[in-house]
Amino acid sequence: MDIIIVGFGTVGQGVAEALSRKAPTLQSAFKEKIHVVGIFDSRSCDISPKGLDPREVVTRKEKLGKVGPDMEGKAFLEILEDVKYDVMVEVTPTNIKDGEPGFSNMMAALSSGRDVVTANKGPLALRFGDLSRTAEKNGARLRFEASVGGATPVINLAREILMGERIHSIRGIVNGTCNFILNRMKDEGLPFEQALREAQEMGYAEKDPSYDIDGIDSAAKAAILANAIFRRDVTFSDVRRTGIRGVSLEAVELASEERKVVRLVAEVSETRLEVSPRLVPMGHPLAIGGTLNIFQIMTDLAGDITVAGKGAGRMETASAILSDIVALLKEDCTTRKTRS
Amino acid sequence: MRVHADLRLKDVPGQLVRALEPISSSEGNIVGVVHHHDAVIGGRITVNVTFEVKSQKQLEHILSDWKERDVDVARLSSMLETFEFEYLIVGDIPPSELRELTDGIESMEDLHAVDIRYSVSPDTGEKAAMIFGKVKQKSAMNRVEDFLRQRSMQAGFLLISGLGD
Repeated sequence: MDIIIVGFGTVGQGVAEALSRKAPTLQSAFKEKIHVVGIFDSRSCDISPKGLDPREVVTRKEKLGKVGPDMEGKAFLEILEDVKYDVMVEVTPTNIKDGEPGFSNMMAALSSGRDVVTANKGPLALRFGDLSRTAEKNGARLRFEASVGGATPVINLAREILMGERIHSIRGIVNGTCNFILNRMKDEGLPFEQALREAQEMGYAEKDPSYDIDGIDSAAKAAILANAIFRRDVTFSDVRRTGIRGVSLEAVELASEERKVVRLVAEVSETRLEVSPRLVPMGHPLAIGGTLNIFQIMTDLAGDITVAGKGAGRMETASAILSDIVALLKEDCTTRKTRS
Repeated sequence: MRVHADLRLKDVPGQLVRALEPISSSEGNIVGVVHHHDAVIGGRITVNVTFEVKSQKQLEHILSDWKERDVDVARLSSMLETFEFEYLIVGDIPPSELRELTDGIESMEDLHAVDIRYSVSPDTGEKAAMIFGKVKQKSAMNRVEDFLRQRSMQAGFLLISGLGD
């Protein structure tokens, strides 16, 4: 399997490291050589048909701020035409306005029958239908476990392991930053602004926190879940969205007196698509603290299934991407066996 | 409405089916049946039946059928099934708005109970109100939610709803 990594920020570097560590085990398990044949950042690239040493490229990026020679004005998609690869790991930054450049990158791979594994929410939340139809038309596979819940396996769990179940709904806490803020308000009696500043100082929230606290990140994830699990045809703008800006300390304390906590919950079903602050009973799985993500999947046979884990981070996201690569290897292995 | 009934049936084969038939033929939902074979009084055994019906009329129909079938009802208790709702409203809520909110909910059909708690911070003046209640029909939950959503949107309040479990 020849892999290219497109986007070499925190997540891309995590993927390179994870592949470097796990490739020998995977090669022996699936009897298939795994090579990273190309790594691209926004201005440079390193390509080797025989395979790169991903760790070396990470070191180069850290030292020089780029992965290899500059692309010299050539467009990435133009260079890509001459690269032989099987799987594109697309991890450029999320853009929730138009999904670019991720959308064009993924379409280029899928249109040519190459598989795509991604953590990039923008294209999936805005143009899921276009991507999945292109994949289907060209016999390519599109996998995106890392786009929702980080290391928490929710998409593949719902789509594959729970395939025989009827899933009534999924509720989840999908943004660790909001959860941290709401939790600090309750536990320490901090006003919203102060809890937000604390989250910014600890690196959980960006300088412009609107992406998290206005529910934009959570809504993008809700749209992905709706499309991927409930087979709906929605985009980010279809999500009924309320953020946590208006949650006052007084409200948090009043809820606490009634043994409830306030949490930003994404809820998705065949008829519901919403991100909003909700009252959650203390002790309920969704009352989880810290920056963890959690999902409650309501099914007809198994009842409620709850999974929790780290929702973000370099190696956590890389772990989810690796799980998708493993799924592709496994499927290829099964196909080879069936043919022989 | 959930109903618990202690029935005394003749200790002969087929009596239990005969006693349960009126419930199913009235489209009631049988939740549980406990058969006390060891407690025979006057040639009759006791059976506890728990079932759900949608209306008092439906229950009366079942009682009338039992009477015709010589099913002895030793004890009957019914419990109204209710659905709970809870909301937290955040914003500059004047006391007059609280009255209007409760009046609005109280005027709805199928309301069983409504209660409101209001809190104003002495330090910051921030206001919040928690509204709890119960309705007799699940469909009434949506009416309460629509009403509160509309009022909150008009007044610029943040509405935080419960999980509805």
